[in-house]
Amino acid sequence: MAFAEADLQTLVGRRFPGGSYTVEPWRAWLLADCVLADPPSLTDGGEQTAHPLFAWMAATGAMGVTWDELFGWFGASAADGPVFGEHETTLHRPLRVGATYRVSGGVESAERKVGRRTGVFDVVGYAMDLRDPGLPPDDPGAHVARCWNSIVFPRRDA
Amino acid sequence: MTTAAPVEVGTELPPWEVASVSAEKMKTMAALLSDPTPIHWDVATLQALGMGDRPVNQGPLNMGYVMNAVTAWAGGAGSLRRLRVRFLGTVLAGQHLRVRGTVRAVREEDGVRLADCDVVLEVVDGDPGGDAVVSGSATVVLP
Repeated sequence: MAFAEADLQTLVGRRFPGGSYTVEPWRAWLLADCVLADPPSLTDGGEQTAHPLFAWMAATGAMGVTWDELFGWFGASAADGPVFGEHETTLHRPLRVGATYRVSGGVESAERKVGRRTGVFDVVGYAMDLRDPGLPPDDPGAHVARCWNSIVFPRRDA
Repeated sequence: MTTAAPVEVGTELPPWEVASVSAEKMKTMAALLSDPTPIHWDVATLQALGMGDRPVNQGPLNMGYVMNAVTAWAGGAGSLRRLRVRFLGTVLAGQHLRVRGTVRAVREEDGVRLADCDVVLEVVDGDPGGDAVVSGSATVVLP
C-alpha cells in the first residue's frame, strides 16, 4: 500500500532513541586512512583532533535505530532506493580522539514532491546533535556538533 | 595554510586530488559504518544489478575528501566549522577525483576570522572540466 502524505507529516518531530559514540583511537586511525587523511598517532598520549567526518559517523552510529528501521518509519526499505540528498555538518568545536559524545535528534521535516522525470518522492530531513556528556546539557560548551541530513524516498507507487 | 598569499574573495584553494579511488578502502569503510550495502564491496552483486564491476564509493568518503581539501588549506582538521553538501552523483572505484574550492566571503565572528568557500568534488576521468558529484559550501577558521 502506498505511503500516504498524511502519514508522512505525523513523523515530523519523532525522536531517535539516540545513544553515545566514542571516537576510539583505532577507529580514528582507520577512518583517516580510508578517507586519505593523515591518521592520528596511536603512540602519542596527547590530545588529538579527530577527522571532522566523525560528526557524521557519530550521528549515524548512535541514532539508536538501524537504517532498515529508519526506512521502515517511512514505509520504505533499502530496496526502494532511498538516497541521501543533502548533508550539513556544523562543528562548534573540533572533535577529539578518545572522546565520547552523547547523540540525540529527530525528524525535522518531511515533504512530498513531484518531479517531471522522477515522479513522486518524499524528502525527509533529520538532525542529530553531539554533546559532551561531561557538561550539563544547558552549558554553552556542551553542544559540540550538529549533523543534518535529507533522505530522498522514491514513491513509485504513489 | 599552504600559501602565504592573503585570503580574499575569489581566492582559489589548492586542488586536492584522489588519483584512483580505492575499492579496498571502501571495504574498510563499510565495516566502520556497519553498512551492509554490497554495492560498496561485492562485485558479483554489482554485476547482478547491471551496475558493472566497479564498487560504488560511500557518500561519506566523498564528503570526507571535501573536508580534507578545505582543512588542508586552512591549517588542520580542527579548522572546519561547517560543511553543507549536495550529493549529485556516484563515484566508482578507480576514478580520478579532484576537489576545488573558491573563497566566497571572509568575515569575523566572535573574534575569529572565517572563510566561506564554495566547494565541488569532480570526477575528472577523461574530462578536464570535471563532472561534479558533490557540491556545496564550507566555512573554515583562518589562522
